Amino acid sequence: MPFVNTEERYYKGNTLNKWFAIASVLFFGSIVLTFWDDNNDDFKNYQKEFRKIEAKIAEEKHSTALAGISEQVEDYEAKIEEAKTELDQKNSDLEKANKRLEKYEGKYYQANMDYLAHKGEIDALKYRLENNRSHAGHSDGHGDEHHENPFQEQYDTAIEKLNELRVAREIIENEVKLSEKHIDDLSLGFITANKNLESLMADVNLLRTNLEKLSFEHMSTANKVADVIRDLPIIDFLDPYYKVKQVVVDEIKYNVNFAQVQTVDRCMSCHLGIDKKGFEDQPQPYTTHPDLELYLTSASAHPIERFGCTGCHAGRARGTTFNTAVHMPNTSESQIEWEDEFGWKQMHHWLKPMLPTRYSEAGCFKCHSNEANIKGADKLTLGLSLIEKAGCYGCHTIEKYKDRRKSAPDLTRINEKTTQDWTRKWVKDPKSFRHNTWMPSFFNQENNSDHDSQLRNETEIYSIVNYLFKEKQEVDLEKSYSNYLGDIEEGKKIFESVGCMGCHTVNEDPDIEEETSLTSLLKKQGPNLIGLGSKTTPEWIYKWIKNPKEYWPETKMPDLRLSDKEAKNITAYLYSFSNSEFEEIQDLKLDSDELNNITQRWLNKKYSLDVAEAKYSKMNDVDKLDFVAKKSIAYYGCFGCHIIEGFEDAKPIGTELTYEGTKPVEKLDFGYIHDIDHTNYAWFEQKLENPRIFDRHKEVSPEDKLKMPNFEFNQLEIEALVTAILSFNEDVVDHSILGDASPEAILVNEGMNLIKEYNCQGCHIIEDFGGQIADIIGKPEYSPPNLNTQGAKTQPKWLYDFLKKPFILRPNLKVRMPSFNLIDEQWNAIIAAFRAMDGEVNTFENVHNVNKKSTTYHAGDKLAELGACENCHFMGKKFPKQDASTWAPNLAMTKSRLRPEWVVDWLRDPAKIMPGTKMPAPFIPTEDLLSIEGAVNDWGRAIIELSGDQEAMINGIRDWIFAIDGKEDLSKEIKNYFDKNGYLHLEASEDEEEDDDDWGDDEDW
Amino acid sequence: MIDIIKHFINVISNPTISFTLLTVLAPLLFPPTDWFEKYHFKFGFNRLWKKEGAYFMFSCITLFLIAGYTDEFAIKILTKPDNIPIVLMFYLIPLTLWLAMNQAYNNDERLARGEAPLEQNDPKDKVLVWPDLVYIELICLLLFMVFLIVWSVYIGAPLEEPANPAATPNPSKAPWYFLGLQEMLVYFDPWIAGIIFPIFIMGGLMAIPYIDTNKKGQGYYSFKERRIAIFIFMYGWLALWVYLIIVGTFFRGPNWNFYGPFELWDAHKVEALSNVNLSEYLWVKAWNQGLPENILAREFLGFVVVILYFVVPPAILAKTYLKEFYLKIGSTRYSTIMFFGLAMLSLPIKMYLRWTINLKYIIAIPEWFFNI
Repeated sequence: MPFVNTEERYYKGNTLNKWFAIASVLFFGSIVLTFWDDNNDDFKNYQKEFRKIEAKIAEEKHSTALAGISEQVEDYEAKIEEAKTELDQKNSDLEKANKRLEKYEGKYYQANMDYLAHKGEIDALKYRLENNRSHAGHSDGHGDEHHENPFQEQYDTAIEKLNELRVAREIIENEVKLSEKHIDDLSLGFITANKNLESLMADVNLLRTNLEKLSFEHMSTANKVADVIRDLPIIDFLDPYYKVKQVVVDEIKYNVNFAQVQTVDRCMSCHLGIDKKGFEDQPQPYTTHPDLELYLTSASAHPIERFGCTGCHAGRARGTTFNTAVHMPNTSESQIEWEDEFGWKQMHHWLKPMLPTRYSEAGCFKCHSNEANIKGADKLTLGLSLIEKAGCYGCHTIEKYKDRRKSAPDLTRINEKTTQDWTRKWVKDPKSFRHNTWMPSFFNQENNSDHDSQLRNETEIYSIVNYLFKEKQEVDLEKSYSNYLGDIEEGKKIFESVGCMGCHTVNEDPDIEEETSLTSLLKKQGPNLIGLGSKTTPEWIYKWIKNPKEYWPETKMPDLRLSDKEAKNITAYLYSFSNSEFEEIQDLKLDSDELNNITQRWLNKKYSLDVAEAKYSKMNDVDKLDFVAKKSIAYYGCFGCHIIEGFEDAKPIGTELTYEGTKPVEKLDFGYIHDIDHTNYAWFEQKLENPRIFDRHKEVSPEDKLKMPNFEFNQLEIEALVTAILSFNEDVVDHSILGDASPEAILVNEGMNLIKEYNCQGCHIIEDFGGQIADIIGKPEYSPPNLNTQGAKTQPKWLYDFLKKPFILRPNLKVRMPSFNLIDEQWNAIIAAFRAMDGEVNTFENVHNVNKKSTTYHAGDKLAELGACENCHFMGKKFPKQDASTWAPNLAMTKSRLRPEWVVDWLRDPAKIMPGTKMPAPFIPTEDLLSIEGAVNDWGRAIIELSGDQEAMINGIRDWIFAIDGKEDLSKEIKNYFDKNGYLHLEASEDEEEDDDDWGDDEDW
Repeated sequence: MIDIIKHFINVISNPTISFTLLTVLAPLLFPPTDWFEKYHFKFGFNRLWKKEGAYFMFSCITLFLIAGYTDEFAIKILTKPDNIPIVLMFYLIPLTLWLAMNQAYNNDERLARGEAPLEQNDPKDKVLVWPDLVYIELICLLLFMVFLIVWSVYIGAPLEEPANPAATPNPSKAPWYFLGLQEMLVYFDPWIAGIIFPIFIMGGLMAIPYIDTNKKGQGYYSFKERRIAIFIFMYGWLALWVYLIIVGTFFRGPNWNFYGPFELWDAHKVEALSNVNLSEYLWVKAWNQGLPENILAREFLGFVVVILYFVVPPAILAKTYLKEFYLKIGSTRYSTIMFFGLAMLSLPIKMYLRWTINLKYIIAIPEWFFNI
């Protein structure tokens, strides 16, 4: 009987069955779809592709290796064949031996069993014996020695029997060994031949194993099956080949507002070759990282297990598809390419999109923020340097620069330097006077260049300048200052040789400006000294170069200790540059209607209208001028870079940039500018290129307009600056992985930052960077020294004294070490940095005492004589024998100046410490040379006595040097000499430049 | 041409226009009285519920979506994963509505001719629970699972950045099914729009079987036999719920400003909002003086208005126009209907008051968190 009465059914059963069938098939299809979708990850496809590439490379390696040894393999195989034949001949012996072995092995088995069984019995007996003994003698612990122990005898007998069994076993064991050896002897040839082949094939077999692992074709059938099964859905939880690969980085956290989450980088799921050599030429995502020495490998400074990827590159660490990793295109071309290839679109909800490749270096800062020059991150360093030079931190608070002095000149005494007329024209358009000034343009920009604004601009400028010169006597540019002027030509020579050009350039032609780079910035430490004839008076220039700190106490400009005559000559030279185009520009006039208008507007903004009106009516023209000036200075933030009286405590006017790199993009006002990408870096680029552009189309009152001035940065500079801005972020990095947190690093960084601030690298090479002045002097040997190993080289006390009060150290250099007048903390930091760079840690050191009676000293004395040290070196007041071109430092100074350990290293190989130095290594005779007959006559007794100990001989020279007495500071003597004779070697060498090339650098001493 | 049409749609989408249109159209679509019915037939709205009406609605919606998917701004909103249910709603609501109305009209015609409704033609119109009903349910379940699986495979979850108390998204939108409520927040205080009204909606729906004792139309589709009830329900459901969801989803952009469907969501767009309370109208604008200190004195007009609103119209209607109705269903049912009905009606009234005279609150006592 059917379960249901079919007649009662409304629907025909089959229709429903059909629908059920269709629904089931669809449902099954949807399940298949989920499986397929679950397993169709992009990274798996990449991993499959990468495996093919790897397999191909492995196969190539394997076949190359195999081909390399193929002939040998044939030889070895032939030998095996031979040995096998030999072995076959001994077949009957071998059979016999095998039988014998079998027999003895059986016997051994039995003997061993007997022995072990008996040993078990003894253990039980031993227990009974001991137990009985303890019960018998429990009263005094000694036991009764005369007590008869019933087990004693039994035990002794058993021990005897055990020994017998042991001997029996050993005899048989020997037989087994003999039999085995016999078999080995018989087949020795065969085994050796096999082993030889094996060791020959070892490398190839490794490659083979690797290949078999990678290449499906080369696998055994069982492995093939396993290889397929391990990656099947569901089963693949066990040990799949294709899987997400990840690195968990505890030290770098991702901020999810309510928690800090450790970084989990899965980038290597697709970027499979990133930390492996050999994939440099493969396409992305398989390419090897471009710098494995610095990154990813375990030997590098940034191993992948500790640093991951997104800690530096940003992006979505957990993303395993092209889009969800939030890759960001570097150019619009690659964006189009990506859109075609990957359907790329930005995931806007990820707050830290990947840094496009041009900004990758922005990732370095979070761990290296205190380094003066971040090695390997030149673009970032350039950006930071530009921020320092342009003084961005004056208006924008940046944590790194919070204690830095204002970047531009002190305006307290501007009246002594120039006139109001000049200042007005300068403020209106600084670039018209000096094409590459750091002073940015505030006026005639995008949002204030229309006619109405022009009038306002001029009135503001007039009032600002009026304020700066208020109640001050301004200089008269027209007056004659001939008593401050010397010879222009002489001045030029001094300017170019004495060291001014370590920091300054004189270049009137904008077209030949050098491209901005870290090196070019060294020359821009001070301004490009053009047009001074149109700006200031010879008196001011003269006084300034004689003593810069008198006019501007915070200036970085050092004192070159110029004589009056030198100063006058330089003044004449600098004063000879004038800018007639600038002079001809019409001065601006004050428009009193506009002044009234501006005054009223500011008053209305601040006060209620009636109060404003009351205040306004009480103001006279002077008050208005003063009021507008103060408002304008506060509005434009002039005090951010300049010291201006009345604005000592004013707060910076710009947005704080300390965390600007992680500011969400929606907090940046794009205004009506829609044709740039909606990314923070696109905004920064646009802002730097045209700071006022985001006011475009907006209706803004003049008091609320954007006011960031235009520095006219070029594309290269903008890229560097944006790198720096992006690098200012809130990322939380554990102290343990900071690059600048070790005690040595702190010392080095502190000093190096001062070194950078005061531009020491303009003249000296420090940490392999700088010394650009050598190009201007033309003769590296007469340029300021390379400061490699400075920390190991000089005694800190001497270095401190020298830096505090420099004197002539290298007698034939015209360029001078200036007096910087830094405070003790700064000098100590610089000296500590030099010492930390060379790993010197001792604050106090032993004085190197010399025993003049020792053999070593005498040997050193003789070697010095033979080496003719006195030809080039001063010996106290005693001048060198040769002429000034080869002069070298005063050796009498060594004992207080240099460290004895360093002197030994230096003598051993000067060129190793200072590549290209003119100092030759002293000749140290070898034992062979000293054993030649009559050597005593040539070398003297002391050297012979040292019997070829070269170490002792070098120590001897050092001792000889340290024992030299005499005057240390020869500045006066040397100055007198050159005053009389002139720097002939410098001038002469100009004509015969090429001959001099092989001299290389004159470096130290 | 297409731009002009898009612009036209943008303009009429503005709530003031579109809501008015909907309110005017509602009685013509679902005529509650003979007078409306006359025009209903005169303008041919009845044809909407015939086959050609289905084609018409289908084409209109499809054309709108085609225009939307090819528009650079509309596509962004239409393709947002959050909004897909509402795009589906564009079809589903007219479809279900048409199915019901079509059968109802057929039945109405049959009833007019003196025949029994379609559903009663088949006296054996019964289905066995087992196997037919259960079987059908199983099939539906399977098909629906397939639909959900395919949806979830092809459209990823709309995840956003980690929640940040310092940065709220603009606009901050509720899930699509709450957008109607969120839209009400524009016109009402949060506790009314977010708490009182939802309770009223649920309570009102639950009360329907007890209030509506009309036995006609049970077990078969019919419009004419219960046209007032259907009209009220349809207006509440379509205009005061579905419409608000659509507005909340598609027409509300940054700063909760109104944007037409083919308009860029420009975050800079600013609309003047200077709303005024009823008490300010009375004291400041009409009587030219400051607000009194005493809160109740200050808001007395609001209280009077609200009380009158809920008391006077029902009383008058019970005596006049709805006298028969009142006598038929009794005072409890009558006052319940009036209460829920007036509460429902207060939403469009408040909307219009906001649009016409910028009225903020009728009773505004922020001190007690009591605003109506």
